[in-house]
Amino acid sequence: MKTTNILIIFCFLLSLQLHAQKYFTRSGITQFEASEKTFEPIEALNITTTVILDANNGNIVSQVFMAGFQFKNALMQEHFNENYMDSYQYPKATFKGKLDNFSIVSLNANNSYDLNGVLTVKGFEKNIQTTVDVKVENDQIFISGSFFVSAKDFNIKIPSIVRDKIANQIQINIDYELIEKK
Amino acid sequence: MYYYSIKKSFLISILSVIPFLGQAQEDDLLKELDNLNQNETRFELPAFKALQIGNLQSTKVVDKGDLYMVVAHRFGTIKNGIDDFFGLDQANTKIQLLYGLLPNLQVGISRDSYEKTYSGTAKYKLFKQSDRVPFNVSLYGSADMNSQLKKSVYPGLKTSDRFSYTAQILASRSFSEKLSLEVAPIFVRHNLQDLNFTKTLTHNQLLFGMGGRYKLSKRLSLNMDYAYNFSKNKNSLYKNPLTIGVDIETGGHVFQLLFTNSRSSNDSSFLTETTGDWSKGEISFGFNIVRVF
Repeated sequence: MKTTNILIIFCFLLSLQLHAQKYFTRSGITQFEASEKTFEPIEALNITTTVILDANNGNIVSQVFMAGFQFKNALMQEHFNENYMDSYQYPKATFKGKLDNFSIVSLNANNSYDLNGVLTVKGFEKNIQTTVDVKVENDQIFISGSFFVSAKDFNIKIPSIVRDKIANQIQINIDYELIEKK
Repeated sequence: MYYYSIKKSFLISILSVIPFLGQAQEDDLLKELDNLNQNETRFELPAFKALQIGNLQSTKVVDKGDLYMVVAHRFGTIKNGIDDFFGLDQANTKIQLLYGLLPNLQVGISRDSYEKTYSGTAKYKLFKQSDRVPFNVSLYGSADMNSQLKKSVYPGLKTSDRFSYTAQILASRSFSEKLSLEVAPIFVRHNLQDLNFTKTLTHNQLLFGMGGRYKLSKRLSLNMDYAYNFSKNKNSLYKNPLTIGVDIETGGHVFQLLFTNSRSSNDSSFLTETTGDWSKGEISFGFNIVRVF
């Protein structure tokens, strides 16, 4: 009888604790850069990326709205949404992955973790493998890093007339500050 | 009692183990992400690619800080055939600069070889189509100065006689990814009129403009615009302007190739001083090249 009660309480506490260990943000920074030297810079910044990290197992998901990418040139932004990303049809991109061997307990100073997952853009999936920096400070988790994709990965067609002006390898930089989700 | 507890503890154990099931949990995370109430930024389809549908102004306004150059050609009527190479020997050229002065406000200056006209224009975007507003609405005004009239020929000519103005309310809606339509109540004021053409004095004229575009592919669309004049005399030699064309977009350029019965591309002139008759083949080829800096 007693052991059962202890077991119940233990399981209950464990599950509570598991659920509490999530971190999130609504204002993550996602940036991409597809410039070719000597041509007009092609880059944009999204400062409304949402991210949730489950600190118990390192599972991480994130989401951006394509229309939230801000360009310096408003016309470029319109073309990005209308001609390349079909943002009307596919308003958002999502990422679903895992920080390998992530443990919030052993995380104090700067740490690098392998991040593996699937990026979905315009309905096309692409496996992403990269290393990100993870840092904990004042109950916040900071994740930053970068990886490369190409327009072909997501079946984005680039007309020959502008092909030289858009980089083959598009660099994506992420910078997220997560706070505990209560 | 004992049996009951066992059952309960078993149930709770099972429940508390569920979060460990990795895959299910990732999907749960995605659902949780949706519940975060992200500031949703939806992309509203632009109704038109260029600042004009063909001749008629579209609701599109130059973005703040952007500079556009528009080079427009209107050739002679195609009906003379090879003799003047389908009108290409008689070109009217207009060069226009447009600048996004403030958010939603563009100003422009231009010079058209038709009647050696200098123009100043302004367009202001009042509403953008969104979940809350079903239409794009822009206000447009233009002032044209005819510098071809010579005082030596017309001794009584006053400076004000050279001016014509238009005021337009442009309302458009993109109905689908492909189809956009526009309507435009227009007021035109001419300080001086040629009675040989207009028959009666109609200094102030009201027109109803309409236009649309249908996208044939991502970067190609079929465009058409027309304006019906309520005020012109029924014996007037001027016709209502009809323009049919295509937009071809290539990065920073839009090429608009068109056929129209108007020789001019200034607002006051193409709206109320169009002489060509479509039914008689009095159609001119023309194009607008729109370049963004």
